[in-house]
Amino acid sequence: MSEEGGATTTPAPWVLDVSVLTAIARADPEVTYLVIALDGRGRPLIIPVLAITVASSDAGTEDGDIALRGLERLENVIVAPLKDAEQATRLAAVIAKTGLATGDAHVAAVADASVCPILTADAPKWREPATALDDPLHIIEIAEPPEG
Amino acid sequence: MSALSGPTYDPDMDDRKTSLTVDVDPGLVAYAKQLVEAGKAPDVSAVVNDALSEKVGRDAVDRLRETAARADPAKVARMMAHVDAQAAALPGR
Repeated sequence: MSEEGGATTTPAPWVLDVSVLTAIARADPEVTYLVIALDGRGRPLIIPVLAITVASSDAGTEDGDIALRGLERLENVIVAPLKDAEQATRLAAVIAKTGLATGDAHVAAVADASVCPILTADAPKWREPATALDDPLHIIEIAEPPEG
Repeated sequence: MSALSGPTYDPDMDDRKTSLTVDVDPGLVAYAKQLVEAGKAPDVSAVVNDALSEKVGRDAVDRLRETAARADPAKVARMMAHVDAQAAALPGR
């Protein structure tokens, strides 16, 4: 939360992609710390259910699933469901346009619908899909900045 | 058409419940029964289930924080600065 002229404003939400969720499921300390810190700043963080499914499969451990459940419990984390046939068919259209696999396609569909950036640990993956929809997707990469 | 009813769809995809016999402090049992009588829970099993579920969630968050505690603070600071710089450069920000 931030205050401007006495009014409290909530930061725009960011959508966590499969690479971030998998890093958390694999107990990456830096990515986990950074996401917890963003949550602590009041930044709404959206985690699409199909991205959670893929991250769980990628990590393939009970500890990974516990980490993903813990993530869901953070104060500003919101799970984005796939709730009906309209959303399911819209997701199919995003898959067709972007060529993304299902988990990250759900990330793209949520980001596109909500007009909010995607937080990723794998920016190159998004280079082409980010321009495949009617409006460009905005990408924020978790990485150490290039030297110099 | 037969009047027999078959299995029903569970939209919550909950695991099937398992019976459990445990010893619980009398005061906690009384509190659980109060919640049921007040209509705040369907039965004592639901109260116990919710309490355990709550603990599972808290433990999962603790596990996340334990992982984060192993992070290199200098590296995280550089990563966060990079994230903040990208966010500041987004259109409409």
